[in-house]
Amino acid sequence: MIEKMAKVEILGLKDIALDAIDVIHDLGTLHIEDLTERISTMETKRVTRMEMDPKFADHEATLNNLRAKVGDMIRELQPDVETMAQEDIATEYKALWSENVEVMISRIEKMLREVETDTRDTVERKADLLVELSRIEKYAPIMAKVQPLAERVARMQDMASIALIIERKYKAILNYLNEEISKITDGECEIISSDVDDESTAALIVFNRRFLKQVHEFLAVQDVNQVRLPSDLAKKPIDEAVGEVRARIALIPGEVDAIDQKLGAVTGKYSVKLIAGRNAIHDRLEAMDAVPKFAQTDQVFIISGWLPEQYVEPMDKALTDKFGNKVILTVVDIREEHESEETPVALHNNPFTRYFEVLYMLSKYPRYGTVDPTIVFAFFFPILFGMMVGDIGYGIIIMVAGWIVHKKFASKPMINMIGFVLTVGGAWTIFFGIIYLEFFGDWLYNWLGLLNKQGELEKYIVGTKESIFKWPLDRIEGFTFMLAVCLIIGWIHMGIGLIIGMVNGKREGNYKHAMEKGGLFAVLTGAMMIIAKFGMDWWPMWLAYVGVLLVVGGIVLSGIGAGFGGAIEGVVGMGNLFSYARLIAIGLASVIMANVANQILREPPMSGFGGIIIGILMFILLQALNIVIGVFSPSIHSLRLHLVESFGKFFEPAKVRYEPFKKTGGEE
Amino acid sequence: MGPALRVGLIALSAALAIGLSAIATALAQSRIGAAMAGAIAERPELVGSAIILVAIPETMVILGFVVAFLITALKTVTK
Repeated sequence: MIEKMAKVEILGLKDIALDAIDVIHDLGTLHIEDLTERISTMETKRVTRMEMDPKFADHEATLNNLRAKVGDMIRELQPDVETMAQEDIATEYKALWSENVEVMISRIEKMLREVETDTRDTVERKADLLVELSRIEKYAPIMAKVQPLAERVARMQDMASIALIIERKYKAILNYLNEEISKITDGECEIISSDVDDESTAALIVFNRRFLKQVHEFLAVQDVNQVRLPSDLAKKPIDEAVGEVRARIALIPGEVDAIDQKLGAVTGKYSVKLIAGRNAIHDRLEAMDAVPKFAQTDQVFIISGWLPEQYVEPMDKALTDKFGNKVILTVVDIREEHESEETPVALHNNPFTRYFEVLYMLSKYPRYGTVDPTIVFAFFFPILFGMMVGDIGYGIIIMVAGWIVHKKFASKPMINMIGFVLTVGGAWTIFFGIIYLEFFGDWLYNWLGLLNKQGELEKYIVGTKESIFKWPLDRIEGFTFMLAVCLIIGWIHMGIGLIIGMVNGKREGNYKHAMEKGGLFAVLTGAMMIIAKFGMDWWPMWLAYVGVLLVVGGIVLSGIGAGFGGAIEGVVGMGNLFSYARLIAIGLASVIMANVANQILREPPMSGFGGIIIGILMFILLQALNIVIGVFSPSIHSLRLHLVESFGKFFEPAKVRYEPFKKTGGEE
Repeated sequence: MGPALRVGLIALSAALAIGLSAIATALAQSRIGAAMAGAIAERPELVGSAIILVAIPETMVILGFVVAFLITALKTVTK
């Protein structure tokens, strides 16, 4: 249901405005109204937007700067917030919050200086080591390839060598280099190459030392990578350098681990202070951002907003206790100001239904003053889902998977809610699975010997083939009966939507709206009566005539209520009813696919052991695919039946959600 | 008309009912899907509406499937 809201205006002496804002922020129940627009339309110029003291504007800049620094430090140290004691963070937060802004800033700055002192050297050293490691790891394979060649060159005093690394796909360039360097060195050069890995080739150019300068100049203008060793290794013989590189590769991870341990100790020491600091800065800035939404005169400040009625008294008491009669809270009559459209909406549902508020991740909240349809969704969504999937085996899997998701993602509201919705959907899937007697398709029919030689259902546990109500209810054989059941469910589902539409019309005093919805309901009922006679032959002809009268009367009533559009809507409403045929159609597609998987397992495409393996694999693959489709498709279609067919008949979206001005506990 | 021809025509009718409606759904979904992909790139919060809008033309193929299934039932009626 939609929480009953109250609109309040808080007036007080201007010199205590910031203290009053702090109290409201602490309570965290007031949804602030931005008064800027109202002020601009006022004739009097005595009321203006509340402005922050210039001193506080400086604080805002400092706090923004600190927020960035604290954020960087948290990213650097990566404290595990999940495992930290929340009470410690709360205590540290309170200590920071209880000070004025100047003291809070200086405490956070001091803490940051301490953290920086403890971490600066280690963080820099770690970064250097990681850079070094990545660089020498790159050299190691190249040097290993070049080393034997370089050793031979080293023994020849008058020869020089340059190592290159080239992408393998451009290996042909070595021929070009050979030709050009031969020209420079009068043929006194040789290029030896060897592939390093799949992508690169190492090459060593050996040439007479006399041409060292010219060759370097030539290579400088070519697009080739010369292997340049780190400066400390460049002057060493290559075999020594290789040994040193290998030793460094072995040593650096140990050094990094030691630094990580040191940083871990620093993280442990400062993580609570950092998180509390981040939260305090965030909330302080939020409070500062809110100030321009308020109004002021020379003497008083004005704060306007909404809050659930139950919170009005605690807020009044908190303000009176702290400021006496220097601050006054007044409740404004929402109806008087015709502001129900602007009123923010908060939902208050029971713990079960609350999980189904996941619906509003896809849609806006219902408008204030209308009926909250969450309970309709909570009741019908899992039933329609279960009716479509309808298989005991699939239901168990969906229910267990949903429950695991629900429990595992307790801290992620959307996934947590989806997990719960799936769990309930899974339970209904089992229920309908029992009605259809389906367990991964037709296994139960086989095990209980209900099928004849042609694979058709012949025996029934309850009733006979001719009975209207029998068990099991085979969806393939009983297609027409199920189609009728789907239409009845559609009539109930859409009927509830139309009744809610009538209630909304009455609540808003819009009786034409109520009349339109009533007309649509009559059309639907009449259509059902006609279908029951001509489609199923369930009752006498005179009831079909009554149905025709209801359809005609309903279209006229809708036309009176909403004009030509209403009359058209009446006709379209009948089409919406047939949309519920998807409840049987999608389920039927699912059961046929499951039966195909079972058939492949029972009669594999080839004989022998190979056939059995292929049969099992195909069975698992098709059943798994069917379960995945069985979760997505019925979810989307059940959702669509709600949002288009049922809610489309009454739902009016809210403009604003209730988002109270409160301490958020810090940014994510 | 021989029974084989009759069954064949029934099967053809059922195939047309599901086939043509599937083509119509595919055409509609391709256009809606492309438009919604563009819309989501600009406004990711529209993803919920996108799922519903893409599912809307499926009504055609679902009703086509229902009609095809009802047509195949004629096979037994005409025996």
